[in-house]
Amino acid sequence: MSVRCARPIFRAQLSSRPANGLGAFIPQVRKLVFEFCNHWPSSANTRTFLSKHLEDLARENPHVEIVVRQRNNKEPIVRGFYLNDRDKVIPLNGFEVNGIQQKVQLLLDSSGAKIKPLKRRTIESTTESARGIWSGLHVEQPFKI
Amino acid sequence: MSHATKRLALTAKRLPTIPVSQLKAFPPKEAVAPKPSSSKTAPTPTFFDTEAWAALQSPNPAALNAFAHRIGLGKAFSSPVESVQQAVTHPSFLPLHAKHRPEEPVPATNGNLAALGNSLLGLFATEHVNATFPHLPTRVLKAAVSAYVGPTTCASIAQEMGVSPLLRWNRTPNTPTHPAVLHSDVLSSVPRALTALVYQHSSLHAARRFAQKFFLSRDVDLRSMIKFRDPKLALKITVEKFGRERPVSRLLKETGRLSISPVFVVGIYSGADQLGEGFGSSLRMAEYRAAEDALLRLYLTRQPPHLVQLPTSTFPDALGSVFDAHGPIPEYTPVEMTDTEVKFGSADRSGVHRAREIQEEED
Repeated sequence: MSVRCARPIFRAQLSSRPANGLGAFIPQVRKLVFEFCNHWPSSANTRTFLSKHLEDLARENPHVEIVVRQRNNKEPIVRGFYLNDRDKVIPLNGFEVNGIQQKVQLLLDSSGAKIKPLKRRTIESTTESARGIWSGLHVEQPFKI
Repeated sequence: MSHATKRLALTAKRLPTIPVSQLKAFPPKEAVAPKPSSSKTAPTPTFFDTEAWAALQSPNPAALNAFAHRIGLGKAFSSPVESVQQAVTHPSFLPLHAKHRPEEPVPATNGNLAALGNSLLGLFATEHVNATFPHLPTRVLKAAVSAYVGPTTCASIAQEMGVSPLLRWNRTPNTPTHPAVLHSDVLSSVPRALTALVYQHSSLHAARRFAQKFFLSRDVDLRSMIKFRDPKLALKITVEKFGRERPVSRLLKETGRLSISPVFVVGIYSGADQLGEGFGSSLRMAEYRAAEDALLRLYLTRQPPHLVQLPTSTFPDALGSVFDAHGPIPEYTPVEMTDTEVKFGSADRSGVHRAREIQEEED
């Protein structure tokens, strides 16, 4: 390698690519906000969930900031905020308490990414193929016309 | 989206999120204009800087605690909220705080922590890269260290951890005494400060594990950092250094020589050993690639991760100064010091001659 480089390396370009989960896993959900009405019957199950199950949920998920807000004369919702600056909203009217638990768990497990329809086989990878791209010149019997 | 809307969205994303439940009164007293008095004197003009007010608010303790747990440091500190609060407060915040809240105690900032953390990260990254790639050229080693723990990476890591809404800082322009303080500078100070906090509260080994988990497990493309001016000559000199036969390139396979898209596969050999292989649409291109491949196979020789021996392992895993601590020290075999890098690639060996001339002048 020559002292006078072929092309200089610019310091601002020097960075690494993330690999969430390889070393440490950073959970993507940062905050859950529950909004409920104090007197409407559609919020009854939500109020039960908040008074009975929310504390255990908060203890099991210390990485999530949980906020409870009273919003009268509206249907109950739960809103999840994620590290990619997106949020997901799920209305909780019509669910039983275990249904609310399932919806909250859905928000806790999500990454916040937009749901993309998988209509075609897609490959998402940061690494090259493991075995390399096939080469007709590197087989035992190369094809002869 | 137009440029103006995009900039507005970016700025809004960077503003701290202040939960209204945490404030004593909203809107704050200073924001409300006083009622005009009945006397006929002119009303005093009021000015309320909304951005300065927003920047002065401290983040929610629940948010800080959640952040500490998110990065796996929930149990590492005795008071996670205070430690994280210090790690996310940049020294540029102090003048703003002093101007608007002079009666409150001065908040702890991450200036010293960031400096200590920067040194620690440099140490861990350098020993990791040197132990993993013993034959890497020096400039590439330095570039790799910058890629692993440099300012761009630190800012990305802070962004991925979700530090943006928790930051306390003040944007300052370029002055004759101080460089400008930008969002990326403030972001990059946070992971460094966190590394220093782990070192102070646990041990050097704990700080090294933190660095390995967040910084050294990331993917850095070393191949793109190794650039050649004349790989054939560099390979010739390198092979001479190792005391082997001079490299000879041989055509291994070819197809379509007289067509529009020929493919030649050339191997470069030292005696009977193949050093490298390259393909190309011309013989010269294939030979160039073969020489490049041979040098890359040498420079990127990698020690398997389970066999990597790091110099900091010789320090015992205990709290406090590494030189005073006592504890078991595992066996350590150092990395071989190698001189495989060829520092000049031109035929006149100008580097060597210049050094001799300078010495003669000094004499």
